[in-house]
Amino acid sequence: MLLAFSDVQKRFGATHALRDVTGQIDGRAVGLLGPNGAGKTTLMKICLGLLAPDGGQVRVLGIDAAQDPTAVRLELGYAAEGPGRIPGLSGLESVAYAAELCGLRRRSALLRAHEMLDLVGLDESRHRPVETYSTGMHQRVKVAMALVHDPRLVLLDEPTSGLDPDSRDELLDLIVQLRDGDGPAIVLSTHLLHDVERTCDSVMIMQAGTVKYAGTLDALQTRLPGEYHLRVAHPRSTLAAALRERGAAVADRGRPDLLHVRLPEGADADLIWSAALASGETILQLEQKAASLEEAFMAAVAEGA
Amino acid sequence: MSSHDQVFDIGYRPMPERGRRQPPAVAIARTMLLLAWRQRATKIVLLICLAVLGGHGVWLVGQLLFERFGSGVGPSGLPVTELVGSTREVLANFLRVQFFTTAIAIAVIAGGAVAEDRAAGAFDLYFARPLTRADYVIGKLGGAAIVPIVTILLPVVLLWLTALGIAPAALRSELWWLGVPSLAGGVLSVAVLATTIIGASAIGQKARTVSVAYIAAVIVLSGIVEGMTGAGYAFAGYLSPERSLHTVVDWLLAPQQSMLGSQVSGRYTPINHSALASLTALLAWAGAGFGLFWWRLRSEVVG
Repeated sequence: MLLAFSDVQKRFGATHALRDVTGQIDGRAVGLLGPNGAGKTTLMKICLGLLAPDGGQVRVLGIDAAQDPTAVRLELGYAAEGPGRIPGLSGLESVAYAAELCGLRRRSALLRAHEMLDLVGLDESRHRPVETYSTGMHQRVKVAMALVHDPRLVLLDEPTSGLDPDSRDELLDLIVQLRDGDGPAIVLSTHLLHDVERTCDSVMIMQAGTVKYAGTLDALQTRLPGEYHLRVAHPRSTLAAALRERGAAVADRGRPDLLHVRLPEGADADLIWSAALASGETILQLEQKAASLEEAFMAAVAEGA
Repeated sequence: MSSHDQVFDIGYRPMPERGRRQPPAVAIARTMLLLAWRQRATKIVLLICLAVLGGHGVWLVGQLLFERFGSGVGPSGLPVTELVGSTREVLANFLRVQFFTTAIAIAVIAGGAVAEDRAAGAFDLYFARPLTRADYVIGKLGGAAIVPIVTILLPVVLLWLTALGIAPAALRSELWWLGVPSLAGGVLSVAVLATTIIGASAIGQKARTVSVAYIAAVIVLSGIVEGMTGAGYAFAGYLSPERSLHTVVDWLLAPQQSMLGSQVSGRYTPINHSALASLTALLAWAGAGFGLFWWRLRSEVVG
């Protein structure tokens, strides 16, 4: 299990940043998804021991984050959302410094820093001071700094924010590459559904300091009940009327023999079969429609499931 | 395939072995000094410190050589006590003057040590890694302490060893006892300067503001204290670290009053209460500097 939360709470004055956060997340790449202010960064900082929770327990890779924060940080890499840089150092020096802070020897740190900068695609500009970098280059350095000590899990906080489309693509490619290779597991905190859809296999959805969903993306997308595409034998069939009588919403899909059916809450495919039986219609094809991540996200947030 | 893809194709390689963790404080101190070294102002203030050392070295060596090869020591030359006295004066003066120049140097070099980290949001960068507050404290204080160690402590020992090396044989046993007090004066300077600049840096937001404020505080404090003591407020003397150090160093280096020197040499002399009060004041400055630093860390970093 990558992360496990149990009744985690955190307040900042009158603001309740986290309310009884409970859940577990596992997988190679996990999206921590939610709008700004949902509590994602607070939760990450609690995992790292940078913030102390007001209550509850956090376990990172099986280690209690409050009991042994140093052991947790040895296994974690973190790329913060903010600037988080040391002006005056070059990209190479920044990454090597991060490695030395994790206990690597100077020489090993430099070698490893070069390796990580090759990985994130920062070329000769690695020798320039970080304050001269573009946002994209800076994000690469932060990812390299998070990876340099070979952690088992990397927390990336809004890594694509402020990037142009090309840089964003390249960074997401890198995350996919890490996910599919020998790299550490990844927790990607973002408010961008597309980033999660492209890179993650699991997701934890947060809103207003609470967990709305934690599980695989596939399970999330099939949670929306009762949306089907049908192809019927007779174009002018009475099936649509029979379905409407049973509370379903029916729409044409451009051809008279194709129907889009949304079932009422609590109903399943049996309702379609019973309507077909009652109307004497033959169903040639029945396909459950997969919800888009956006639909699934909106539903999860609305349901608070 | 673009050149970018080729770079990516190297892939992620787990580290073959992790090995024993190195103390991160060394890297923190080294990086802090490296960043300072890249500023031109650092080189200038270090050159000034070097000039002060050079001036005192010439003074000391010239004096001893003149007495050794000129008028001679003993029956036909200056009395031994006078030569010891002049060597003591060089060492005490060096500690006093170099304290001032090092205050400027350390303000330039270490003024941004903590302030810049706070301004750049680098605390998360540090403490998201397996680093304790103690590692950070040791690293930053160690980096700051290197400056007075290099400009005060090592030079005062060098001056003393030089005096020992070139002094006439009759003088050596007397000069020998100046070593411990000189060292103690140097250590006090290191402690006060390193802790106060880091404390100032911990409450500041910009390196330049901290540096200017620190230098101004040292100069203004000395001036105010001078005025107040002149006006009859004797206690004010203890408020100036430079003046307190002066008092303590004079006391430590005085052959008849040196507590350390006399105890080591077996000649006990009564305790100088003013010097003890100055010593207490210096330790209070060091404690205040360290306290500010620790308070800042405790308030911004979870332990």
